[in-house]
Amino acid sequence: MKRIFLYASCCLLFTAGVGCKKYLEKEPDNRAQVNTPEKVSQLLGTAYPQANYQAFAETMSDNVADIGYDIGGSAGNVIHDPFFFIDTKENEQDSPEFYWYGCYSAIAAANQALQTITKASNPADYSAQKGEALVARAYAHFMLVNFFSKFYDASTAASSPGIPYVTEPENVFIKQYDRKTVQYVYEMIEKDLLEGIPLIQDKVYTVPKYHFNKAAAYAFAARFYLFKKEYDKVIQYANLAIPGNNFAANLRGWNTDYKNITDVTELFKIYAKATENANLLLVETSSLWSRYYYTSRYGLDDDKQSSIFPRPDPLTGGNFAYALYSLGGDHKLVPKINEYFVKVSVNAEIGLPYVMVPLFTVEEVLFNRAEAYAYTNNYAASITDLNTFASKRINNYSPSAHNITEARINSVFGTSNTRDGLIAAILYYKRAEFVHEGMRWFDLLRYKMPVKHSTSPDASGNVTVLAELTADDPRKVLQIPPSTELAGLPQNPR
Amino acid sequence: MIKKALGRSNVQTKKITCFFCSIFFLLFFISSANAQTGAIRGKITDSLEAPLPGVSVTVKGTKIGTSTNASGEFTLNNVPARSTIVVSYVGLATQELTLSAGQTTLNLTMHPDVTDMQDVVVTGFQRIDKKKFTGAAVTLKASDVKIDGVIDVSRMLEGRAAGVSVQNVSSTFGAAPKVRIRGATSINGENKPLWVVDGVVLEDIVNISNDQLSSGDPTTLLGSSVAGINANDIETFDILKDAAATALYGARAMNGVVVITTKKGRSGKLNIAYTGNFSTQLKPYYGEYNIMNSAQQMSVLGELERKGILNSDILSNPNYGVYGKMFDLISKPDANGNFIVINETESKAAFLKKYALANTDWFDILFQNSLVQEHSLSISGGSEKSQSFFSTSFYNDGGWTIADNVKRFTLNFRNNYNFSDRLTAGFLTVGSVRQQKAPGALSRVSNPVSGQFDRDFDINPFSYALNTSRTVTPYDENGELEYFRRNFAPFNIIDELRNNRLSIDVLDLKLQGELGYKITPHLRYEFIGALRYVKSTREHEITENANMANAYRANDNATIASRNKFLYTDPDNPSAPPVVVLPFGGFYNRTEDKLISYDIRNSLNYTNTFAEKHLVTVLLGQQVKSADRQNFSNTGYGYQYDNGGIPFVDYRILKQTIESNFIYYGMGKEYDRFAAYYLNTQYTYNGKYNLYGTVRYDGSNKLGSSREARWLPTWSFGGAWNMEEEPFLQDVWWVDQLKLRASYGLTASLGPATNTGVVLRSLTTNRTFPLERESVIQIANLENSDLTWEKNYQTNIGLDAGLFKGRVNMSLDVYQRKSFDLISLIKTGGIGGEPIKAANYADMDAHGGELLLSGRIFQKRDWGWRSTITFGYSTTKITNAKNQPIIFDLVKAEGGNTVGYPVNSLFSIRYNGLEHTTGVPTFVNEKGEVSPNVYLQDQNISNLVFEGPVDPKFNGGFSNTFNYKNFSLNIFLTYQAGNKIRLYPAFRTSYSDFDAMPKEFLDRWAMLNDEQVTTIPSVLEAYYRYLVNASGASPYNNYNYSTARVADGGFVRLKTVSLTYTFSQSLLKKFGLNSLSVTGVAANPWLIYADPKLKGQDPEFFNTGGVAQPIQKQFTLSIKAGL
Repeated sequence: MKRIFLYASCCLLFTAGVGCKKYLEKEPDNRAQVNTPEKVSQLLGTAYPQANYQAFAETMSDNVADIGYDIGGSAGNVIHDPFFFIDTKENEQDSPEFYWYGCYSAIAAANQALQTITKASNPADYSAQKGEALVARAYAHFMLVNFFSKFYDASTAASSPGIPYVTEPENVFIKQYDRKTVQYVYEMIEKDLLEGIPLIQDKVYTVPKYHFNKAAAYAFAARFYLFKKEYDKVIQYANLAIPGNNFAANLRGWNTDYKNITDVTELFKIYAKATENANLLLVETSSLWSRYYYTSRYGLDDDKQSSIFPRPDPLTGGNFAYALYSLGGDHKLVPKINEYFVKVSVNAEIGLPYVMVPLFTVEEVLFNRAEAYAYTNNYAASITDLNTFASKRINNYSPSAHNITEARINSVFGTSNTRDGLIAAILYYKRAEFVHEGMRWFDLLRYKMPVKHSTSPDASGNVTVLAELTADDPRKVLQIPPSTELAGLPQNPR
Repeated sequence: MIKKALGRSNVQTKKITCFFCSIFFLLFFISSANAQTGAIRGKITDSLEAPLPGVSVTVKGTKIGTSTNASGEFTLNNVPARSTIVVSYVGLATQELTLSAGQTTLNLTMHPDVTDMQDVVVTGFQRIDKKKFTGAAVTLKASDVKIDGVIDVSRMLEGRAAGVSVQNVSSTFGAAPKVRIRGATSINGENKPLWVVDGVVLEDIVNISNDQLSSGDPTTLLGSSVAGINANDIETFDILKDAAATALYGARAMNGVVVITTKKGRSGKLNIAYTGNFSTQLKPYYGEYNIMNSAQQMSVLGELERKGILNSDILSNPNYGVYGKMFDLISKPDANGNFIVINETESKAAFLKKYALANTDWFDILFQNSLVQEHSLSISGGSEKSQSFFSTSFYNDGGWTIADNVKRFTLNFRNNYNFSDRLTAGFLTVGSVRQQKAPGALSRVSNPVSGQFDRDFDINPFSYALNTSRTVTPYDENGELEYFRRNFAPFNIIDELRNNRLSIDVLDLKLQGELGYKITPHLRYEFIGALRYVKSTREHEITENANMANAYRANDNATIASRNKFLYTDPDNPSAPPVVVLPFGGFYNRTEDKLISYDIRNSLNYTNTFAEKHLVTVLLGQQVKSADRQNFSNTGYGYQYDNGGIPFVDYRILKQTIESNFIYYGMGKEYDRFAAYYLNTQYTYNGKYNLYGTVRYDGSNKLGSSREARWLPTWSFGGAWNMEEEPFLQDVWWVDQLKLRASYGLTASLGPATNTGVVLRSLTTNRTFPLERESVIQIANLENSDLTWEKNYQTNIGLDAGLFKGRVNMSLDVYQRKSFDLISLIKTGGIGGEPIKAANYADMDAHGGELLLSGRIFQKRDWGWRSTITFGYSTTKITNAKNQPIIFDLVKAEGGNTVGYPVNSLFSIRYNGLEHTTGVPTFVNEKGEVSPNVYLQDQNISNLVFEGPVDPKFNGGFSNTFNYKNFSLNIFLTYQAGNKIRLYPAFRTSYSDFDAMPKEFLDRWAMLNDEQVTTIPSVLEAYYRYLVNASGASPYNNYNYSTARVADGGFVRLKTVSLTYTFSQSLLKKFGLNSLSVTGVAANPWLIYADPKLKGQDPEFFNTGGVAQPIQKQFTLSIKAGL
């Protein structure tokens, strides 16, 4: 009898031991499992940086001035520090650090997806997801390297520090990373991009405009090669992005549809709507930029507005159709940054504000192609692109009255070098088109332009310069977050 | 009893049996040979010399036995000479007396059985002779600590055990007090002790975090895991404090363990016991608090009117009181076209005068002196072969406020069987049903922007009474309910409490089985298995007549429509006026929590004594535990309570909730799996030197899918030296017992992180247009292959002494605890994709000491005075943590955590006086500048002032029992000290005529230079208020979080005074009763000392609205009868 009991209890202990492994494998809650192509697609829904660069990129650019304390009060650090080119300690929404985190979170999602695909028994079924993951990973790194490393220049790229190019999920508490070089990062981006593009299939997306659809991926390639100054490829990918040279029909209808919208709140909302053909890729970002961009002390003042949107536009002689608004007469704005406010509970008064950001647009593809044409000496094609753009931006546009010509460009920009004139014209239109969106910052980097931040002109038209960036100012490279020290990254020089 | 539990036996294996048989036979033969038998007579009395009926009197080793009659007398026949007589009675110490030759009478006085509890520590796994125990533990007898009329057993521990702190953050039925054994052990994890009932871990129905405990949220009503336990069923509490004591709980034991042992049936006469408690609770009254009466309030309102704040514009405000009503009547004629008030000074003054004289007593209106009844009946008894204990109870609280009441039914059925000398079994069925009503409450929302906690539609009667102006009246002159305005809709609190209620139903059922088998005399197998099922339903019924429903329909004019946040604006048509989307009906919101848990344990216990000196006990066991929890919640729109219960749902209200990305129903599951192996060894040499060691290996699924992190070994060892056994103490008359003990060990607890594998969560994207949204999966946490359990090393040194022939007992402990691998947040570079990670890197040190001193100060025949004092000291310090708290995290009433300070430290914004021209308070802000504006979300906390920990450093109790003849008087005080409390947030930028103001406002800044004499800010003029609001500052709210609004948390409370009269046996005989006593108890009658700055605010209570209530002053009449 006693033996039976002894054996029985021993058996019980043993079987319990074996059963334990399975028993303890149960996940502690109903967390998601990613095990099908559809689930990987869902995971890739978060492979886009859900952080907004517009606030700091725009505030660092030459589109802003100090409107003054009396009108704007004191600005928070998120706006104040970029205006003065200070390495901000701020890490809340709209700060460079927040954007850094947003990009790397996106990369983590892409890497998690890629790891799932590699481990799957049927990787072939995941090819569309793999394409999206690679391109998304390339995009987030691309944005990081442009903001946080010295801007790409073939001559210095191999020696200037890049940003860590992450290709696998992090699985330890603190992992060490290496910045390598800008050259390396660009190579990795190109590799991922070229590997990913052919795999992309628009049909797997439920909301294609929020994913790297084919057009968006090509638009990304066009921008990438523009930054890399490989202009033939810019033209190649721009043409792929908008097949059949069908730009005109897809540009934002500022002088047509938008003109008819009388309610400004409607105008605010339409800009980042997926149904707008001009938007190729959108992302939702946690951001307060919709509030800051026309209320903050450092913003678009009267003076900047009239220089960015001159009346008439000297190139066409017509007037811009952009809706130009002002708040209290001093803050100028184009109603395009809209807020989507998510309350913490259905009746709460607090919540998180979101801004939908168009990451790639048809307009940008058109500008990139025009610029590439200019560099490949196809001036006529470049001018045609500018005319296409003007046809959607000039009030009561008439091809005969508003035609942009080489002579006009050269006379407006006071040059006899048509390429220089074209580049100036493109940058001028681009500045107007993307005002408030931070795109100007990249042009300032690409062309190594100095930036001056001044007060708004006083009664006698005088301004005081408050902050200044020289052409090669080290502060043009944003400082990487100090907490990256834990990961072994050196800071950018100051 | 101890022997039995330790597995020593009187049953032998075959060989030994034979041997002993022959000895027995021999003995029997010898005794038979001497067979001189005779009769023994005697009388058994209790210590008061009253006769004791029903006492069992037996002759040891024979079947001869009887029990005493009603006069306490007995007769035993055929008693062999020189026999040993055993006299036993439940609750009294069993005595054995050997008869001297020729003895025929035996008169005996029996004494209460104190040794029974003092000598054994119940760890839930073992019963250990206290003399041999090396850990720090306190055993409390339930009958000693029970406060008649107090229903929640966890509150009974307050002040009773040194080192256990119990803070009554809310006293609503079901809400848990904040219980800490030796203070906090974790920074972000749980700090509450593990509750164990009859050897089985009592899982919480819902996991409630440290901060949630004091939130007043409806979930807190499920917070007390012991709410379903009938206090009358409890025999003892064992509080296990150090590593050696808690070792067998391994990786769950870091916060200490409270082991509850319930009553068992005993063989012998059937015992029927009834306990009836009849209580009433005092209403609060204004004298205790610091609230302006209606005349004072009206004069302040007059000032507000002069300052341009109270004018007819307030008709566009969501809330108004008397002034709003006046402006409303001025603007609108009645049905006959007459104006009740006309816009003239005289008419207005007459109208206001009526309310200035109202002096509404909200406490009187919302509170009641209701009767609380508790009836408990138990029947126990049995034979040698089977014993049973049955109890049932009914508790009915009619409600301290007009909005709440509770009914609770419990059942406890326990049978123990001795099938043979080897095989024993026990079965327990424990169940409880709770039905509770509470005022309708929503969860609060933390708003770091303004630095407030927001709770919409709060109708908590206590906070309503404190916060509502006494000029507002509940009834008009005709005795009809009078309505003012809240949320743009008519509001009357009495009506609202009728129409907005929570109903909570809890069913809690536990089935437990135990089996024991003696394999050899030294080896015993034990099985224990339990299954528990708890289902709770919370219904929030908001009828169509509730203010909360009417607020959705408040659409009187365009201004109100545009301001009413409960109306709906179609995002596709943003310029259209907001519309009503709840045209009919109210809400029916339902939350359900379910728990199914089981716990199975197999163990082998070996005990043997070698060479009469070496006592060895080995326990080897295995345990499997699981708890599955499910939570469901649903918001039901448009339920028409008065209209046959048919919901009317406007599709737009669903559209509104979906567009705002709010999930209107949800369900979540949690799975807790646990497996463990354990080995415990005890060794005693010569009854003097004791060694104790435990190793346990725990596995849990809580950390996630990684196999490596899942298992954790914990261990502890300890030693004890029974010094009184040493020759040098043998002759010291005043030392009865002296034990020095020490222990060291590793214990652990699961932290809040679960990501040994990547944690992915689904969510719906936050995009403007519903058609563009999609369901995506987000990485909530990256894999952390370094994740492990939170752990600590504990060292404990203790001294137990019994002195002066049992007159004084003393127990002293000092401990040190080094917690490590604690989960804390750290900002990483974010390159992996998770900028702020929760990981095991933080460290914390804690140390403290405890003293228990009890003794009989004197004991005479009729007189006695016993006294017990407990004292506990504990302090913690976070030595390593890199989390980056924002100002709001640290200044809130619950406190926050930052390196270099104790866990839950309270910080304040430095108050810097009032502004000269406006009386607006100023502070040293986050930049170190003097300003009314402090950015509460800033991470620069260097300008904050450290006030102290929120948890008390010192706490304890002082109990005195006096008895005179049949009377017994107990006076019990509790105290705590060394902590800081945030005062009630009384200050706001603007006040409506609905708000009550504290009397401090009488001393407020009123004119220039007042800042030199007062620290109470001004009431802002309209213009300044506009300026303050426009600048985005909230100086008045900052003031609530400043050094000006902190009080010391120390207090001394007269916890209970109870007077018991025990009827003498001679009297009871006539009624056929065994025992009868009547007790009158006053619970919490007097807060003897508290910081005067509190001005009536209870130092333990967090007045957070919702369902929170402070502890009540309660008077109870308790009747206990035994048959």
